[in-house]
Amino acid sequence: MDSLRNIAIRYKQQMLALFILSVITAVTVILQAYFLVTIVDRIFLKQQGFSGIIWMLLGLFIILLLRTAATYANGQIGIRMAANVKRTYRKALLHKFAKAPVKQSLEGQSGGKVSVVLDAVDEMDSYFSDYIPQLIKTSIIPIVILMTVFTQHVNTGLIMIMTAPFIPIFMVIIGMQTKNKSEEQQKKLSAFSGSFLDKLQGLTTLKLFGRAKEQQEDIRKSSLSFRDATMEILKIAFMSSFMLELISMLSIGIVALELAIQLIIYEQISFFTAFFLLVLAPEFYSMLKDLGSAFHSGRGSMGAARKVTEELNRSEQQVQWGSRRLPVEIMPAAIRLDHVSFNYGEGQFSLYDITSDIPRCGQIAIAGRSGSGKTTLLHLIAGLLPPSDGKVIVGEKPLSHYIESDWFDHLSYISQQPYIFSGTIAENIAIGGDANASRFQIAHAAEQAGLSGMIQTLDKGYDTPVGEAGRGLSGGEMQRLALARAFLKQPAVILFDEPTTGLDLETERVLQSSMKQLEQNATVITVAHRLHTIKNADKIFFLENGRLIAEGTHNELIKTTPEYQKMVSVQRGVKTE
Amino acid sequence: MKDLAEIMKLTMTEKKDILYSIIFGFLAGITAVGLFAASGFLISKSALTPPFYTLIILTSAVKLLGITKAFARYAERYFSHRATFTILSNLREVFFSKLEPLAPGIFQRYRSGDLLSRIVGDIETLQNFFLRVFYPPIVLVLVFISTILFTMFFSIYVALVLVAGLLLTVFIVPAYFALRQLKIDYNVREKRGDLSTEVTEFLYGFRDLKIYQKVYGKEQSLTQSSDAYIKQQEYENSNKLFSQSVNSFVSLIISWLVLCLGAYLVIEGHLEGILLAMLVMISLTVFEDAAPMAAFPIYYQDSKRAANRLFETVEKKNGGDNTDDKQLLNPNQSLMIDIEAVSFSFPNESRQTLRDVGLRLPAGSKSAIVGPSGSGKSTLLNLLLKMNTHDKGDIRMNGQTVRHINQESIWENTNVVLQENHFFYGTIRDNLRLAGDTITDSEMVEALAKVELSDISLDNEVYEKGGNLSGGEKQRLAIARALLKDATLWLLDEPTSSVDALTEEFIYDHLFRQAKNDTLVLVSHRLTNLDMMDQVIVMDHGSIIESGTFEELMAQKGYLYEMKQIEKNLL
Repeated sequence: MDSLRNIAIRYKQQMLALFILSVITAVTVILQAYFLVTIVDRIFLKQQGFSGIIWMLLGLFIILLLRTAATYANGQIGIRMAANVKRTYRKALLHKFAKAPVKQSLEGQSGGKVSVVLDAVDEMDSYFSDYIPQLIKTSIIPIVILMTVFTQHVNTGLIMIMTAPFIPIFMVIIGMQTKNKSEEQQKKLSAFSGSFLDKLQGLTTLKLFGRAKEQQEDIRKSSLSFRDATMEILKIAFMSSFMLELISMLSIGIVALELAIQLIIYEQISFFTAFFLLVLAPEFYSMLKDLGSAFHSGRGSMGAARKVTEELNRSEQQVQWGSRRLPVEIMPAAIRLDHVSFNYGEGQFSLYDITSDIPRCGQIAIAGRSGSGKTTLLHLIAGLLPPSDGKVIVGEKPLSHYIESDWFDHLSYISQQPYIFSGTIAENIAIGGDANASRFQIAHAAEQAGLSGMIQTLDKGYDTPVGEAGRGLSGGEMQRLALARAFLKQPAVILFDEPTTGLDLETERVLQSSMKQLEQNATVITVAHRLHTIKNADKIFFLENGRLIAEGTHNELIKTTPEYQKMVSVQRGVKTE
Repeated sequence: MKDLAEIMKLTMTEKKDILYSIIFGFLAGITAVGLFAASGFLISKSALTPPFYTLIILTSAVKLLGITKAFARYAERYFSHRATFTILSNLREVFFSKLEPLAPGIFQRYRSGDLLSRIVGDIETLQNFFLRVFYPPIVLVLVFISTILFTMFFSIYVALVLVAGLLLTVFIVPAYFALRQLKIDYNVREKRGDLSTEVTEFLYGFRDLKIYQKVYGKEQSLTQSSDAYIKQQEYENSNKLFSQSVNSFVSLIISWLVLCLGAYLVIEGHLEGILLAMLVMISLTVFEDAAPMAAFPIYYQDSKRAANRLFETVEKKNGGDNTDDKQLLNPNQSLMIDIEAVSFSFPNESRQTLRDVGLRLPAGSKSAIVGPSGSGKSTLLNLLLKMNTHDKGDIRMNGQTVRHINQESIWENTNVVLQENHFFYGTIRDNLRLAGDTITDSEMVEALAKVELSDISLDNEVYEKGGNLSGGEKQRLAIARALLKDATLWLLDEPTSSVDALTEEFIYDHLFRQAKNDTLVLVSHRLTNLDMMDQVIVMDHGSIIESGTFEELMAQKGYLYEMKQIEKNLL
């Protein structure tokens, strides 16, 4: 990824405009001083009448107007450029997130990612809106002033040349320190925003354990440490402007003293020259000082840009997709797992070397105790996770050879907690299939999923809004909504995660009958807890600690696998009667 | 306005820093004016070849003023920023403390992504309240008044021009832009809120988006939100720039007028020529700080809006806060709970969630509440936890009505496992420690063993929202957390719905042993283990339709029997 400087260079037109405006500003600075000094000189020393200065006053007025206009235009260009850069980078970040495999979205804290997309990108602003315009101004205006000064009085020019370098030297020294500090602050800000979201979402749990009050203390502490971190940086910034102010003050003092000596003792220069130079001197130093403060915000931007770039450059195992069409006629195709492995990272959970066949329209159950890797296997088959080793083969070819959208067009995933998007019920059902599905088709799908009764009791019916993470819907209703999505889509492959957990019997009945209907033309792979599911399965994958320890039908496994037998015997509910 | 007053109150707690900011701000402003006045006078004086000592005195004065100015500016910045960040910290705290009592209820109304952006974003905005709205006008007016008084000493007319300039740049021009501001609604914050909510939803709903191939579409809509946000920012910045430019032009024109007037007065002999340069320098300097005032209305509006939004979030009345809830529960005895003719409906919902529910839970009894999803089981549990307050009827715990019992006292005496239990970013140990600070590692390991999670180490990392734990693991961890808490009332809402039957059996064994003398209420969709219960309550559509022991109900061949038959057929 490019550094901010390289990005700036790409905006050639804007750079040229900034350059021209700076030259105009430089001329107005000189002329403003000239008119001002001439007027005072004529009135004070030459004792001329009003007619002697009237044109001068008019000229000064125009110059003031021109100077303000140039500054305004300068600022506008910076603002435009900054907006452009932010737009580009935020877009790139969003694109990166969109391409990430499923597990990546859980990695790290989502609040932190939100903060990169919002805050870090926003902080890139000042580099372009402040620093760059100021940098160009500073590289032109002081030189023009210096040239003018040399034509008037060489000594003053020499003093300026000798004192001026102190300002950038100090700036560089201080800027170095700020750079590191600002990156530190970015980290703190990011951590702060992540932990805050976590705390808000867990507020109910915190309250139940009587821990909410002390979070307030926690927030205070982290907030104050955030303050102290910020103050550390600011102190350096303030100190640097203090130093810069002293340097320029001292320099202007030397200029003034030299001028006064020349004026009084040697009577070498006129009042006009002395006053003119004395008016120009502060302009010269303040231009350098302004760069100093712009430099600080520019540095802050660089820290933020680093953060953004880091996020953009992070390499991750992406799910590979190809360009081959998935032939519709082979769907539902047979799926073969060829030495498929996956690990979540060093020391984390792994799935080891799974090889098996899933026949066309097969009913497969994945069984095993919780934490044995059932959902991970399902994600691998779904193409939501990239296998670390081995292949998932659909039909003749590995899944990674097909076009992504072709595969997902044939797939439905009914998870334990279907995500309900903010929108209406109808929109949430339609997300499963064709975006142009008619209200009739949606209602039909809802009917099949046993959802229409509930929807009819709602005032707004299908147009009832449902909130983030489906608040306002019960678990059973969310499941049935996920089923309705599948009915609308009519998929060839259905992945079904823990079908009967936490549901009422009515939803369970709906699920059973719905699945029967859906599985007529589809391969169904189910993460199963219920005996009837595994009894009806053509094949059961029995997992333990990430390994496929047995496969076969229910009757086969009962005979061959004692662990399986043990699980099933309790499932039958020994204690219920 | 009321909300901004609230912020003002918070601001005033940092009195010392505020006072320092104003004093040093004034000092910096007035020395700057003095500095340029002196140098203008110095140069004019030099032209008249004065005695050398005059020059030395003047030069030293200029130096001294310069150093004082630099120092005062540093101090002003230091104190004003420190005050600002302390105020922000106080604000976060106050906001959290206001949000905290509304906690479970408020999440039904606001999306958490939105909440986050409100708190972080709006509080960030409010940093401008002190820095740019509250104290700079005070400093500015003080400096102006002193300068004008000084100028009056030399020329009343020039002083009048300065007064006019003060009115223009500090009041009239900002007021004009304030009016403009009212017409154009800058919704930068709102756009930011939209974007933040959308990004959060994008990250959490990513798997479903991926499968339904809505990632691309969502990316597009996010890009649009981002562009809309950036456009608003651009608009705001360029408006800020414009008003600043106008104001600085106006102030330059005032100095220009001072020059015209001064020249005229000198020509007419009403003013000494030597003072002309000084007066022009004074005018140029004193207005330098006035230019940023043009942005005042923008910051003022921003602060006002942010304050409104922040307090609007937490100010809505919630059903839960009763004033007379000072009573405490006795922690050492198991509770007897009487529920009498209780009805409840959620705000803004016409349908009653609970209708005329009556029930007794004797001390030390074990009860199961069963029934289909949406039948009101969890709502009843929430009423017992006082997370919501019933509309009609009464709930009594050991004879005390719940309305008068302190919420926290109920929670302190309850072991709760909800359907959704939050796990925080950190380690397993951090998450278990919520149950109590004195719990040792070995106790935690023991609790993990009781829920068959012995293979998990206390040092294992937990992602935000427990994202790296399976549903069953989360439930078992939640039970372990409750086992560690040691209270006498157990309220369990489908605690083992994602746990396989074998593990469930194992866990219940330990759970019932520990809760032997305690009152326990279990909400369950499964009809297993009901014979362990003293009573089974069957609910449907917000009412209790039958209750009794498991054997009685089975013999009665009613609703439970029907449900059981279906479940058996499923097996």
